[in-house]
Amino acid sequence: MKQAPFTSKRWRRVEYERLVDVGAFEGEPLELLGGQLIVAEPQHSPHAAAVGMVGDTLRASLPPGWIIRVQAPVALDDESAPEPDVAVVRGSHADYRRAHPARAALIVEVAESSLAFDRAQKGSLYARAGIADYWIVNLVDRVVEVCRDPGPDLTAPFGWRYSSVERVRPPATLTLLELPQVTVPVAALLP
Amino acid sequence: MKQAPFTSKRWQRVEYQRLVDVGVFEGEPLELIGGQLIVAEPKGSPHATAVGMAHDALGVAIPAGWIVRIQDPLALDDESAPEPDVAVVRGSRADYRHAHPARAALIIEVADSSLAFDRVQKGSLYARAGIADYWIVNLEDGVVEVYRDPGADLTAPFGWRYTSVDRFRPGDSVAPLGVPAAPLAVAALLP
Repeated sequence: MKQAPFTSKRWRRVEYERLVDVGAFEGEPLELLGGQLIVAEPQHSPHAAAVGMVGDTLRASLPPGWIIRVQAPVALDDESAPEPDVAVVRGSHADYRRAHPARAALIVEVAESSLAFDRAQKGSLYARAGIADYWIVNLVDRVVEVCRDPGPDLTAPFGWRYSSVERVRPPATLTLLELPQVTVPVAALLP
Repeated sequence: MKQAPFTSKRWQRVEYQRLVDVGVFEGEPLELIGGQLIVAEPKGSPHATAVGMAHDALGVAIPAGWIVRIQDPLALDDESAPEPDVAVVRGSRADYRHAHPARAALIIEVADSSLAFDRVQKGSLYARAGIADYWIVNLEDGVVEVYRDPGADLTAPFGWRYTSVDRFRPGDSVAPLGVPAAPLAVAALLP
């Protein structure tokens, strides 16, 4: 028997944002990833604690002209509006009052049950969008996975993946690729 | 590695209906099937011909007080608004000007590339909704498949399936179950 045709609607980001604006998804934690509306997992307390630590640590280290956004949308591509746990972006909060930032110097996801998803799907999505620096705070193994050097890979969910993945543990420190003056201790990211 | 959490948004029929009403999906052939927005396949000429033949054959066979709806929505359940190729429903057209019918005495899908989907997914969906008489005009094999006696089956996509399946060939005739109509010649349904 041949494969059933079963194609889900692929949402465009502009369609999705229009529905968000009219309140169609109010109270629903969703992300648009590669055209699909994905339900966000509820957060356990280790996850929330780690997001807070990552946010505090980065905020304290960034030079003027850079901000962090916590679980706020990124206008990543025409069919994606993810809401990464933490994103480091240029400018001020007011710069994005009419449109979400399209680029980030660093994206951080805190992963517990979502580890495989954050590695494979989100990693591929961020790599495709050219995000140069993607960190996964892996609460399962208590390491930070630093993903860099995005390159094409047809076997990846979105055709791209990070060709360099480095696992770092305390007491190591990490330096942001785009902001070499910013160095943070790995221990400050792990609850 | 554990399975990634990857849950697509499940649409409620009322949400979907509201978006349809404001024109969000204008020009997009979609059906809501078990909470998922499924893109309808483009229809080839054999498909369109078979739909027309079923319409014509039923049009003369059914008595007053019944209507044939072609590729119109059914308010099948809380998370489904399929648009079957043919549905025979009770009443007059005007009865459904404010709301789509929830029930049909007979549903017909014309299947070529969609055969597996129409058998498995749609069959399970219609069985779950208690549709007593479901026919697939199977263009690949030149037969009409008649599905009856819906029953629970946990292995089916929506937990139900039809327990009786009969295949009819040109030369045979088949009478709708819940409509007081003359039997239809299978040859009149196959292009």
